[in-house]
Amino acid sequence: MKTVEQMISADELSEFARQNMEPDWLIEKRLLACEQMKTLNFPNVLRFNYRNWQMTSDLLAWIKSDKNLLNCDLNNNSLVQFGQTTLSVNLATELKQQGVILTDLFTAARDYPELVHDNFMTKAIQTDDNFLASYHAACLTSGIFLYVPDNVEFKEPIELNLIQDSTQVSPLVSHTLIVAGANTKFSVIQQIHTKGSQANLANAFVEVIAQENSHVNMSSLDELGENTLAYLQRRAAVGRNAHVNWAIGMMNDGDTVGNFALELNGDGAQAKAKVVAITKHRQRVGINTGIKNVGKHTVGDILQRGVILDDSQLVFNGIGDIVHGASGSESEQENRILMMSNNAYGNANPILLIDENDVLAGHAASVGQVDQSQLYYLMSRGLSRVLAERLVIRGFLGAVLTAIPLKTVQQKLIKIIERKLADGHESD
Amino acid sequence: MGILEIKDLHVSVTDDETQHAKEILKGVNLTIKTGEIHAIMGPNGTGKSTLSETIMGAAAYQVTQGDILLNGESIVNMPVDERARKGLFLGMQYPAEIQGVTNAEFLRAAMNARRLEDDQISVMNFLKELDKNLDLLDMSEEMTERYLNEGFSGGEKKRNEILQLMMIKPSFALLDEIDSGLDIDALKVVSKGVNAMRGDNFGSLIITHYQRLLNYIVPDVVHIMMDGKIVKTGNAELAKTLEVEGYAGLRDDLDLDVALVDEN
Repeated sequence: MKTVEQMISADELSEFARQNMEPDWLIEKRLLACEQMKTLNFPNVLRFNYRNWQMTSDLLAWIKSDKNLLNCDLNNNSLVQFGQTTLSVNLATELKQQGVILTDLFTAARDYPELVHDNFMTKAIQTDDNFLASYHAACLTSGIFLYVPDNVEFKEPIELNLIQDSTQVSPLVSHTLIVAGANTKFSVIQQIHTKGSQANLANAFVEVIAQENSHVNMSSLDELGENTLAYLQRRAAVGRNAHVNWAIGMMNDGDTVGNFALELNGDGAQAKAKVVAITKHRQRVGINTGIKNVGKHTVGDILQRGVILDDSQLVFNGIGDIVHGASGSESEQENRILMMSNNAYGNANPILLIDENDVLAGHAASVGQVDQSQLYYLMSRGLSRVLAERLVIRGFLGAVLTAIPLKTVQQKLIKIIERKLADGHESD
Repeated sequence: MGILEIKDLHVSVTDDETQHAKEILKGVNLTIKTGEIHAIMGPNGTGKSTLSETIMGAAAYQVTQGDILLNGESIVNMPVDERARKGLFLGMQYPAEIQGVTNAEFLRAAMNARRLEDDQISVMNFLKELDKNLDLLDMSEEMTERYLNEGFSGGEKKRNEILQLMMIKPSFALLDEIDSGLDIDALKVVSKGVNAMRGDNFGSLIITHYQRLLNYIVPDVVHIMMDGKIVKTGNAELAKTLEVEGYAGLRDDLDLDVALVDEN
């Protein structure tokens, strides 16, 4: 069997990109990435073997998705994409006047070539980061571009809604690029879910370029369907004195590899990464969450919490990487997994890579069962065991819930969690 | 009228490491009716908390002999939550902290747990009841939006136990050292809460080391417990005598052969 990089020819790829009216530099980037695929490997997720997963597709096609298939109200969102089709863009006039740009990535590549050229897969994730990143760059079919110019601050979060179109065969290869100018302050919530039950793959990336002294709050709520095989890569490049907080609710129903990293490049940069995941049935999920301290006096904090049900598998790797020269830096991490079934397999691995003496680093990890004293307390007030367990679990996951700035999205995540727990329990 | 009967109750606790079972309660007899407040006093390590935890149904305590009857029905084989829904409440010495669940949300869940599916409390009625009780306990509304006991001070936790008591309105409340760690003002507030519950439909068993609490919640009956048994029962005066004589004095009066944990 031929691998995907052997099946996609350079001619085919450039023809494909031309149909999309892409600028030459982007086409060249695709071709280069396609070459890079030949020598690269899958990203390594320690203690998680997914080598035999089919994470790429040779289907190169521009596919329209029919918005009439969606019956949900998406008016409140800033931008909605269904498959490769952008359904709506809604940016407050006030933000437009301040120079904020929100559009689909290909439009941005044509209309704001310099901004996209300089930031797309150059600063946070390079096309040769790993095999799936090069596949991503070569075969990209949708994307979002958000640019917030220097000194712009706003409170109302930007809400990005991606809907994978699994009413048909169509791999989702999507890239969200967020550029936060110096001294900016804002929040972004990205939700991603699946419409339809066709088996498809999702290869969705988010890059955040946080320039000097910017404060960016990211929330990602993933709810891909059970027939979606997902590779999610998210990375922020955090500049001098900039802060990026990223909360991720990994609620996919299908097998997933998550590769999340924040790079503290500038001195004084800070980042928090919070991840919650629930796995059930026979689902397999492996997640790397890393913070790399490059600049001096940088502070990184990783918190991962997971609940595993049924026969599922969840691996959390927390990677704290302090490079040589990052003196005065801190790296903290906590990875915890709650086992709700004896057949589930959980692994919480703190990985500390420290090449500098003058640092503070700490880690905690556990895989365990529900705290009996908490259950007893709740049950002593008349709550059934099932309800008590759900409350304890929700509490266990609470640290990430509270990091999400919008109450409605918080509530949504709580609902998803409860649905997953109820679902998982039934099949015990 | 409700009645809680403890009959010849023997309880053991098994040491996790040695697997050796140790008998803590050695034949406790006690009857509490609604409308009555009982106090149990006794020196450290005598089995007072074991009694309250066993009545509530904590898993660590094994009933080896005897019975516990609530309104004539044996509850020793009932799970904790069912006992609670039948009308028991345990105000704990060390309430668990639960992140991510707000006090208000928990209170509503607890109140609804003992109501029928089609008779859940309305938000309006809940808030009305909540405001009334917060007011009485001198607690701020902000407390109800905080996570259950998380980061609460010792005193706040105790107040919160009493708030739950007042919202849930059990027929019998076991209050395990609700006075420990309280300053005098907090003690008064907590007592006010318990006293507000007094009435024909409420009975309570109050566990305490000190007579001080009983100045504020005057009991109808006082029991002295030593070495896993009730050794003396009397009225509120008994607690005052004890305050003067101490447990050692009482033991000698009763001519008991009991070693006290904290005796020199």
